[in-house]
Amino acid sequence: LGSFLCLWALRLPAGTGAAARGLDVGSYRERVRAMFYHAYEHYLESAFPYDELRPLTCDGQDTWGSFSLTLIDALDTLLILGNVSEFQRVVSVLQEGVDFDIDVNASVFETNIRVVGGLLSAHLLSKKAGVEVEVGWPCSGPLLRMAEEAARKLLPAFQTPTGMPYGTVNLLHGVNPGETPVTCTAGIGTFIVEFATLSHLTGDPVFEDVARKALKALWKNRSDIGLVGNHIDVITAKWVAQDAGIGAGVDSYFEYLVKGAILLQDKELMSMFLEYNKAIKNYTKFDDWYLWVQMYKGTVSMPVFQSLEAYWPGLQSLIGDVDNAMRTFLNYYTVWKQFGGLPEFYNIPQGYTVDKREGYPLRPELIESAMYLYRATRDPTLLELGRDAVESIEKISKVDCGFATIKDLRDHRLDNRMESFFLAETVKYLYLLFDPDNFIHNDGSVFDVVITPYGECVLNAGGYVFNTEAHPIDPAALHCCRKRKEEQWEVEDLMREFYSLKKNKKFILKRASDNGEGESAKDPEDASSEKGEEKRNSKKRSHSLLSCPSQSFNSKLAVLGQVFLDNT
Amino acid sequence: SCSRAKDVTMPAKLPVNFFSTRSPVIDLFRGQLDYADHLRQDSEIVLYFFYAPWCGQSIAAREEIEHVASRLSDQVLFVAVNCWWNQGKCRKQKHFFYFPVIHLYHQSFGPIEYKGPMSAVYIEKFVRRVMTPLLYISSRSKLLDFLSNYEPGVLGYFEFNASPQPPGYLTFFTSALHSLKKDYLGTIRFGVITDKHVAEEISLVHSGSVYLHRHVNTSLIYPNDIMNYTAENICKWALENREMLIRWLRPHGGKSLLLNNELKKGPALLIFIPYNPLAEIHPLLDEITKVALEYHNCNKSQAAEPDLQHLGDTDSPAFDSSVLDAHMKLSETFSITKYPCCNTVVLPQWHSISRTHNVCELCINQTLGVKPNKVHVPHCNFLEIEAALDSFYLQEHTFFQVISNTIECSNFLSFYSPFSYYTACCRTVNRNFLSFISSEKTIFQTPKVAFSSHGKKDNTQHSIPHIEDRNCFIPDLHISGTNITGLSCRTNKTLNLYLLDSNLFWIYAERLGASRSTHLKEFAAIVDLKEEVHYVLDQNQSLVGSTLENFIKNFSILYSPLKRHLVDDSSVHFNEQRVITEVTTNTFHDTVFLSEKNVLLLYYAQWCGFCASLNHIFIQLARLLPPDNFTVARIDITRNDLPWEFMTDRLPTVLFFPHQRKEQSVKFPEDFSVNLPNLLKFILHHSSLSSSEPCTKECLHKETVLQQGHISHLEREIQKLRSEIGALHQAHDQLEAQLSEARREEHRLQQQKHTLEKQHKTLQLHSEQLQATYNQKNQELLEMAQKLQELADASENLLKENTLLRILVASREGKLQSKDEIKEALQSEQILSEENDVSVSTTTATLEEKRIDNIDTIETEHSSGNRTE
Repeated sequence: LGSFLCLWALRLPAGTGAAARGLDVGSYRERVRAMFYHAYEHYLESAFPYDELRPLTCDGQDTWGSFSLTLIDALDTLLILGNVSEFQRVVSVLQEGVDFDIDVNASVFETNIRVVGGLLSAHLLSKKAGVEVEVGWPCSGPLLRMAEEAARKLLPAFQTPTGMPYGTVNLLHGVNPGETPVTCTAGIGTFIVEFATLSHLTGDPVFEDVARKALKALWKNRSDIGLVGNHIDVITAKWVAQDAGIGAGVDSYFEYLVKGAILLQDKELMSMFLEYNKAIKNYTKFDDWYLWVQMYKGTVSMPVFQSLEAYWPGLQSLIGDVDNAMRTFLNYYTVWKQFGGLPEFYNIPQGYTVDKREGYPLRPELIESAMYLYRATRDPTLLELGRDAVESIEKISKVDCGFATIKDLRDHRLDNRMESFFLAETVKYLYLLFDPDNFIHNDGSVFDVVITPYGECVLNAGGYVFNTEAHPIDPAALHCCRKRKEEQWEVEDLMREFYSLKKNKKFILKRASDNGEGESAKDPEDASSEKGEEKRNSKKRSHSLLSCPSQSFNSKLAVLGQVFLDNT
Repeated sequence: SCSRAKDVTMPAKLPVNFFSTRSPVIDLFRGQLDYADHLRQDSEIVLYFFYAPWCGQSIAAREEIEHVASRLSDQVLFVAVNCWWNQGKCRKQKHFFYFPVIHLYHQSFGPIEYKGPMSAVYIEKFVRRVMTPLLYISSRSKLLDFLSNYEPGVLGYFEFNASPQPPGYLTFFTSALHSLKKDYLGTIRFGVITDKHVAEEISLVHSGSVYLHRHVNTSLIYPNDIMNYTAENICKWALENREMLIRWLRPHGGKSLLLNNELKKGPALLIFIPYNPLAEIHPLLDEITKVALEYHNCNKSQAAEPDLQHLGDTDSPAFDSSVLDAHMKLSETFSITKYPCCNTVVLPQWHSISRTHNVCELCINQTLGVKPNKVHVPHCNFLEIEAALDSFYLQEHTFFQVISNTIECSNFLSFYSPFSYYTACCRTVNRNFLSFISSEKTIFQTPKVAFSSHGKKDNTQHSIPHIEDRNCFIPDLHISGTNITGLSCRTNKTLNLYLLDSNLFWIYAERLGASRSTHLKEFAAIVDLKEEVHYVLDQNQSLVGSTLENFIKNFSILYSPLKRHLVDDSSVHFNEQRVITEVTTNTFHDTVFLSEKNVLLLYYAQWCGFCASLNHIFIQLARLLPPDNFTVARIDITRNDLPWEFMTDRLPTVLFFPHQRKEQSVKFPEDFSVNLPNLLKFILHHSSLSSSEPCTKECLHKETVLQQGHISHLEREIQKLRSEIGALHQAHDQLEAQLSEARREEHRLQQQKHTLEKQHKTLQLHSEQLQATYNQKNQELLEMAQKLQELADASENLLKENTLLRILVASREGKLQSKDEIKEALQSEQILSEENDVSVSTTTATLEEKRIDNIDTIETEHSSGNRTE
């Protein structure tokens, strides 16, 4: 393994472009590492077992529940930084110390992305981190059971007429009587990654089913022009807030449609996203900015850019829309340059912050996009954003006890809070931006083979899908625990065919592929008979949905801020 | 205290020094803008560096500014102002969207914003331009220098004899400064002529006239009568009318359409050279600009430099020679750098019907790029000619379509020496073969052979003495159709020429395929955005004027020998142990077409989410397939270009190249999901393993090979199954342990159940007993109630008796009273009867008390009975 990684390091001379502009990637990587430990150690010292560290008063507080949230969230960052021993220690601490049978009202969304997501990724990475795993791993294990337990606590929220979940649930008693039925769109559509992973790993389909049902309910309630609003009543399915955009309240819904499609090779999710994407481009996109519009009329309601929207370019790069992604990213980067951070709201025409929304809680979204785009373009501009982020965060928000949220970007006043996503996401993405050889960036040239009681699995071959809290999920593990078992006998038969001299016609892919396309009309019956149980026949025709366009010729020169307009 | 902690906030830290105190830069880190303005009065030239302490770009630029300041601190005042701190004056008055911002003042003129690269040399150059915006042209030689520069120049003529400040001079001076505002690259140079005679050379007679020099088009004089004579207008006029033969591209790093706009104009030649703006001379740049001048010089009959020609007519001897020099330099560029040694080659007939002969003149040229001093007197080396012929025949398809009467020339690289290339000029000869030879001869026998070579490392020595050699032919390119002079107007593939500083923008060169190994950052490429192709000047050739000329010529001719450059990811390392073979542009053909196996090729890109999540499937596939017959390969299509026919527009794409029918590649159908069974079926369907023909010996051999493959596959499977069994055993053990644990637990639970049942029984008994006692008590209570009732009745009777008694007593008393007076003697008897009455009343009182007590006890008993229940 070592030699593979070493070769890989040679493959990506990341510094070449940046070196000309004097950016030392290695030293920035070390500064990010130091940032992590400064915050992490102070959390352990002053705040554990509370959820979060309060950096100005050097103590802790519970924010999203009471499950040592920062520790769960930071767990896989430890491994990405290469700290195996601390990872192992924290795993054992969590196994003993975290209890979900508590009388706490928790956000369904936050608990899912931070706790369930964090535990799932820790479970899937635990072998890599040298944790002694059970024989049934990756389809069983203590961390997986914890994740399942946490997720089960959330299931009561999905018991609504529409299938869309409540926003809050009591971990002990279920949905509180009198709970508000108004949930934000992201709070409904941000489950498929974690829940489908749970279902695939544990074999219990209930999680994936409720997540899919919620997604479909949203899809059904989109407006005539194909947009979704901000908040919806989960009982009556009436839109309460009708602002449509890509940012706060909606953001991770779109993200999970794409990531779910990638993780599950699911055309249906992708076709939903592509429809939304069309509407978003039509109604909300102006000069590579994305504004807020009325979801039924498409008229601009707020000409603002929100800090949370900065994930969009990264998402676009995943599906191959790199040119547009880069153009939007460069817009967002100018806002960073103006303030040393991204204000929650930025009024685009006025070129300034919006009243009461001037804070920057050290959010990761822009850095996340930079990391994805750097994979695609190797543009040194993206490393420059990383440099700016490190300098700004260190200069502005570093205090004796950690890193403090910036309350107001106009004067850089600090707030007594350090959100758990700072260690889970911001630091992680920064580190990954400066560490192109990290195992997370594995392009498939290295992999692990794991023998499970059910057979042999190829794992850790790259292609990790990050949940919206930056917890990586290995798609191969999902395959290992479910699909592989389904396919096993078919594959065995086919392999026998390879060595037999007389070809048995029944195995042959019937479609006369030599003629290329144009025969898809008679496909469904043929294909379904061959492929055994493929879930939805209707999806079959559009498999090319799960692909990216290859990059255009001019993308060779689209670096250092240069953008190209389409000829069309 | 909790809520208080929640509201705790902290103001931003106080600003501290950004520059060190020893720095020549004055650091106003509290943003004292008023003081900064005050400082301006002390110095003629001031540079303001507005920064934000948290800004990465400010931090990066800090060093560069310090470097410039250390060199210019005696002439320029450097002031850094923290324009972020919200208590500072600067933040309150200025509103910047980015940092750092550099403003320059020339006395009261300003601010001139510097927008160039944040690199010390560029900043210094710009500051120097602000210091002396006008060049003083005192002599004819200086004038010539000024005019021969490739960048546009504006000249003003002012008579200083009459007044120390002739009319219009100040405006002209300001316009020079003004141009720096607009044109931060400083491409337009401004000069001032004070001598009447020098001014006459460019036909300027009147003091105050302004002249824009142009190389190719006629130069202009500022139209005073049409436009107002203002600084802005002069500047605008110059910018609008300037000639851009070759342009520097300096993307500023922010979002920009610069390349988009320039490259959409048509094919572009991008030349990357390392450039130091402060250097006195730029020999390579001069050479390139000469090529550019020639290329654009369309009016061939006239001299390239009409103005210089004009100057040359004057009698000044010193001037004459310099002009001659200039012409010499120009003439050098006409001839390719050459090492003349030629041979005539008659190509075989291409078509049997054609009666034409193709005759080519093949010459060996050597540009000894690296060793300019080691130039030998050339002589025709037999071996070299032979090598050249070999190369030539390999390249001869280039001339396949030559059926014209013009002479087409091409240059191609020798395979044997990186410093030499061959020139082949071919023409089709019909009948008059002889006349061709004769005509050639007259041309070829030029008495002088110009030879120039330009040192790469030693830039000062850029000219080598001419070498005379009459023994060899020189293909004079003047007569060929591909003369560089004015080529831009004759070809329909006009190139725009651009320069890029490879110190800053080498990344673009790398993107276009500049090899990473080269330490010399010189590179040239022709980019055609519309056709989506680019061509690269062979990197084994050094970038000099002549190679560039050839490059342009080869691009322009009808059947261009240039080949689309395919960028290759050279950093891929090949490792036999990999299960998936990584293919690059260079290995594509070998791996896919020359291999003896069936090849499954995956087109992917690392950034594409749909590709990366399939990694494990292809790894599994590669591990399953018999390695002797199958190769699973993949190619990263963003880093490796492929010939058009193998390009794909969607990723991932899976192609299958069956063994023996490699040209009949098949695409995995897009609408099938990419999973193991589907891939296997796809391969099975298309692989050439199937053999229905009758068996020959060969077939038998194949069969055994196949069987062996099968055996090894089965062995692998067995291995796998064994390890699976191992895992199962482990799982079994684990389960066993868990089972026994569970059994123990069950046992424990059983016991617990028993004890619980016992407890239950005792409890039941107890409850029965309690029930019995309850019933009993209830009974007792009822009895008690009955008794009470009786008592109550009794007491009622007693009460009645009591009242009767009272009535009796009262009546008695009445009787007694009446008898009182009469029977006083009977007094003692009366006392007795009174005593009797008292005793009766006490008995009734005790009786009543007893009744109440009884009720109390019933109540308490009742409640206790309840509790036991």
